[in-house]
Amino acid sequence: MARQMRRKKTYSFNSGTVETAIDYKNIELLGEFVTETGKIVPSRITGTKAKAQRQITNAVKRARYIALMPFCDAHD
Amino acid sequence: MRHYEIVFLVHPDQSAQVPGMIDRYRTTIEAASGSIHRVEDWGRRHLAYPIKKLQKAHYVLMNIECDQATLDELESTFRFNDAVLRSMTIVMKEAVTEASIIASATAEENKVAAEKAAEAAKRAAEAAKPAPAPAETTEKTVVAESE
Repeated sequence: MARQMRRKKTYSFNSGTVETAIDYKNIELLGEFVTETGKIVPSRITGTKAKAQRQITNAVKRARYIALMPFCDAHD
Repeated sequence: MRHYEIVFLVHPDQSAQVPGMIDRYRTTIEAASGSIHRVEDWGRRHLAYPIKKLQKAHYVLMNIECDQATLDELESTFRFNDAVLRSMTIVMKEAVTEASIIASATAEENKVAAEKAAEAAKRAAEAAKPAPAPAETTEKTVVAESE
């Protein structure tokens, strides 16, 4: 997922849908911006725009808190 | 009055209490002239990591509009209710009423599961009808062999 996108620098959302699509409940989408170990991938690698990256970061952190996404791969 | 989105996780053994809990929260919110815009029961979901040594929890999502006092009351009830494992409140700009991604996904899953169950039941019923005949024959053969 995230690994294949590395160095592509061209991840673009359809403009306008950014605010609605990035949500802590949209685990499938967020999964594309997270490594296999659960870390958030920097925008310089995924090519996300700064605004979208901020929203992704927030959404991933919320999803982690309510256990929709893992913090890391070392949970029991 | 502000818009809030609340997600709370209920202990899977206390799943039966969930409808009652939602009703209670509804009455407290409506008593304070607030309103509920969306309530979703995501059911028992697998947790991404264990919480209190539990692997599963019952998720409930609520989009409400209420004042600060009501929200404080709700959050304190979450805190002192042992069945609630965790809760998260988010301030929203407006009321959200359409079904969330997770709710629609679980609904679809349930549909698929129900269809599969129905199909399996049908197949089982069909299989059950002709089944007795060969069973008898095998018994006969067994009897014949023993003689």
